[in-house]
Amino acid sequence: MSALDELKGIAGTLTNPSLQEWKSEGRKVIGFLCAYVPEEIIHAAGILPYRVRAVGCDQTSSADVYMSQVNCTFSRSCLEFALEDKYSFLDGLVFVWSCDNLRRVYDILREIRPDTFPLLHFIDVPHKTTDAAIDRFTEELESFKQALEQTYGVEITDDKLKEAISVYNETRSLLRQLYDLRQSKNPPLTGAEALSVVLAGTVIPKQQYNQLLKKLLEELREREGISDYRARLVIAGGGGCDDPEYFQIMEDLGGLIVNDTICFGSRTFMEPVKVDDDPMAALARSYLNRPSCPRMPEKLAERTNSIKEMVEKSQADGVVFQRLRYCDLWGGEQLDITRKMKEANIPLLTLEREYRTSATGQLKTRIQAFLERLEV
Amino acid sequence: MEERKDIIQSLSDNFAILKGLLEGKSDGVSVFEYLGPYFDKANATQQSGDKLAWINFGVMPELFWAMDMTPIVVDSLTGAISGLGEAMKYIDIAEQHIPDYLCSNNKILLGAALAGDLRLPSIMVHPSHPCDSNMATYPHMAEHFGYPYYLIDMPYFRNERSIEYTARELGNLIPVLEDLTGRKLDFDKLRQVMEYSNQAQEYVLKLNHIRQQVPSPYPSLDMITEYGLLMNMAGTPELVEYLSKKYEWAKGKVDKGEGHLPEEKYRLVWIYGAVTFDMGIFNWLEREYGAVSVSHMNNNWTMNPVEDISTLDGILKGWAQKIENLPMTKECGGPWENYLNAAMALCKDYKADGAIFAGHMACKSNWAIAKMVKDRIQDEAGVPVLNIQLDLFDPRITSAETIKGMLNNFMTTIMENKKGRGSPC
Ligand code: SF4
Ligand code: SF4
Repeated sequence: MSALDELKGIAGTLTNPSLQEWKSEGRKVIGFLCAYVPEEIIHAAGILPYRVRAVGCDQTSSADVYMSQVNCTFSRSCLEFALEDKYSFLDGLVFVWSCDNLRRVYDILREIRPDTFPLLHFIDVPHKTTDAAIDRFTEELESFKQALEQTYGVEITDDKLKEAISVYNETRSLLRQLYDLRQSKNPPLTGAEALSVVLAGTVIPKQQYNQLLKKLLEELREREGISDYRARLVIAGGGGCDDPEYFQIMEDLGGLIVNDTICFGSRTFMEPVKVDDDPMAALARSYLNRPSCPRMPEKLAERTNSIKEMVEKSQADGVVFQRLRYCDLWGGEQLDITRKMKEANIPLLTLEREYRTSATGQLKTRIQAFLERLEV
Repeated sequence: MEERKDIIQSLSDNFAILKGLLEGKSDGVSVFEYLGPYFDKANATQQSGDKLAWINFGVMPELFWAMDMTPIVVDSLTGAISGLGEAMKYIDIAEQHIPDYLCSNNKILLGAALAGDLRLPSIMVHPSHPCDSNMATYPHMAEHFGYPYYLIDMPYFRNERSIEYTARELGNLIPVLEDLTGRKLDFDKLRQVMEYSNQAQEYVLKLNHIRQQVPSPYPSLDMITEYGLLMNMAGTPELVEYLSKKYEWAKGKVDKGEGHLPEEKYRLVWIYGAVTFDMGIFNWLEREYGAVSVSHMNNNWTMNPVEDISTLDGILKGWAQKIENLPMTKECGGPWENYLNAAMALCKDYKADGAIFAGHMACKSNWAIAKMVKDRIQDEAGVPVLNIQLDLFDPRITSAETIKGMLNNFMTTIMENKKGRGSPC
């Protein structure tokens, strides 16, 4: 099987053969729910970090007993799966102060399912990047490390952390190479494929993933570039946007996605973690300073500017800003993105969506109209 | 073309309208006698080109008073706009630019600013608690309109370390304000402001105790509208004057065993929002059912006065502790136990017969725990809870009539409950 097919297969399911093999060896898996969790700490504990999604969730009736229709469908879908024991392969679940929806999923699980996971942990993440904020985040990460050590009887040494950082930096570097290929006039893979590739890396051991990425990069060298597209697109926006099928709809209509700023995409690997003597502080500094999402209000202008820069670098024709309904953080971003894209003369399409891709008729109509606009 | 207006000026000019809407419905000393002059001052500040700071309900105004700025709590501004029935046009304007599901409180402010009906501030300051909607609006407005912005970053969990961190954040705000105003902070003035603030807080705690008495001498409406006064005017001698008069008046009634109503039949606590677009609902409950609203989460000021006001360090720490425990910041920020414990305490301490969760639809974090809060209160305090889905500022989502219909049904439950138990709680 080609590396691309293997990676796509992994991304499209909740569990995967590598994860099952890992579990069958008696090893632990810890789920986490936001890109602000430094996975390296989990990896250094010899545990597999697993970025939680709710692949295939088609209803949220159990979650809706607790959450309401004003909570985003990503958070409700994840709660649904937790209540339905779909995450029974997880040995722990880690939340951060990401958003109002996810922080309450943590509260609900603590109240009604306190024994589901041996570890249910919450990491406080500052909303600034000052030295004091980095110190505070470092302390939080130390507590997380201690929780892992106590719960699973492991020791996380500085050396193990440095090793983990180096493995992850290799992943980041390989993914950057992959994204670089997408910047060419005739990229060798679609946006939907690229999203699948990135998603696969969030649920399998990183060493294995790095091997697959290397193989993929080799394969892509031989692959014919895509030339039959109508317009090049950059995807901006939200959390909970992890469905390759959604991207596929845009690409089936002739839009080619060549870059993104999403938290299931480029934001996690654009910057390497710079290691120094204190790996925990290095992680805190890097994660706080990496390309941000709107939970970092003071980085607003930087975020919007980075979309403009990306459009230029990728020679994109337009930006699709997608966000989940009831996601406040990304919702507010609309004001700035709309104005600044207009000022920069960059065509923009804003799409509000649900976690699960369904009822695609209207979506197709809007994308079609946008592509026509771009072609004029 | 519709003439543009200046909202703060019009609140100052026409405060009597708002006062008139509620006139005769409160006794003792009126909140509005003090809120009116406050808006006059805010108007005078902006007319003179002096510094007006927008802050939100999570900040507290003392430092701004000490810096000779006029702080205006944007939430009281939007509340006043809503009370005058003018919120909807601004919500509609905002929804052309941001999603409808963001908080209408934020949308009113944005809409009014986009309409050009609000003079922009010299700075906006707000904390990272309690909600995403604030974080998704205030920095964006500052960027859009080009005024300075300061975020008070606050830790998620509250403890000794969080106070230190927040105190540092507050300390870092001082040079920002000094640069903005071109004035150095006068420590003696700050201490004086904190003294007034402490005196006011002493009265607030005593008044909490007063409202816990059966019968409560306090008018429901005053109980909730005081929130605007405390948020904007903490640190001023005027607030101390209002609260001292109010306390003397209320205590006099308690001493005589007099309640606000000739017969207090039921006691209600509001464990979430107030129906801001129709505050008359509080009076309607009194009139229709003899039900006095004795406490409200929005007005749940439980923090102690700042202990050490002799040093800047002491003041900053005390201020940090205070803002961590502000109403709604304390409950809605952080883990859900903060909310549960506060709601439970309101039910128990105020001897409630019923609790109303007037759930603002935009509050994702609160709606996610509404059922759990309700279940726990009903199970552990035996107090029935009504959850209402509404928009506090926008009657188009759930009208006052619909809300009253739900309250009618709820009052029937309370009556039956009370008959069955034979005791208020
Ligand atoms: S958008 Fe931000 S807060 Fe939400 S999951 Fe992604 S990184 Fe976390
Ligand atoms: S989509 Fe937005 S609200 Fe939902 S989980 Fe992600 S960041 Fe939070």
